[in-house]
Amino acid sequence: MTDFARQVEGLRPHLMRFARAQLRNDAWAEDAVSECLLAALERPQSFSGQSQLKTWLIGILKHKLVDQLRRNTREATVLVGEDGEDLFDDLFQADGHWREAPRDWGDPDAACCQKQFFEVLQLCCEHLPPTQARVFMMREWLELESDEICRELAITSANLWVLLHRARLRLRDCLQLRWFDKAEAAAS
Amino acid sequence: TLTCREAARLLLEDEDHELPTAERLALQVHVKICFACQRFVSQLNLMRRATRAWRKHSETAD
Repeated sequence: MTDFARQVEGLRPHLMRFARAQLRNDAWAEDAVSECLLAALERPQSFSGQSQLKTWLIGILKHKLVDQLRRNTREATVLVGEDGEDLFDDLFQADGHWREAPRDWGDPDAACCQKQFFEVLQLCCEHLPPTQARVFMMREWLELESDEICRELAITSANLWVLLHRARLRLRDCLQLRWFDKAEAAAS
Repeated sequence: TLTCREAARLLLEDEDHELPTAERLALQVHVKICFACQRFVSQLNLMRRATRAWRKHSETAD
């Protein structure tokens, strides 16, 4: 085994974690990572050394993750109505005012760069209903355009927006509960 | 003149696709005078920034 192959293989656990976070399916993640490593080992000359090896492999892996989602579209997608309730209407009174005004989340820089905050964010993503989690990760992690996500998952743009706004509201609720409420309690 | 409910809906839509000009202007007018909706905007901004920071961190860190 060459040095390059050893280094690439050594990053398998990291790639598996990245793939699992995206796909939420161990078998699909295993396939995507294996294909990624195979592609890297077949074309070592395309690694210029200007970026970190890990960053280069993540770039390859993102394409393999999209391939997996495409292959498993039927399993990956459920109807919008089956993917958890919509929290939106509960936020407002009949006259359109907030039932409870959004809370102050303080200095964004304080939260955004803390490892513990990332852990809570990951936990919140894992608690999203499956399709919401999938479209949120495709949008925010794989950085796919809306029309690309719609094409891959065979859903309409209206369905996609509903799924994304439900995901954002659930994440907001979860972060409030698991991070900001605790920070508030600790400060008082 | 938007209600908070309508403004929040537009703010969520605005995360994923560009709003028509008339809706964008109405939203700006509402948010400018609505403290609760300003807070909601801050929360959405923080979630967007945090997700981006988490992604960058995961691609390069241990």
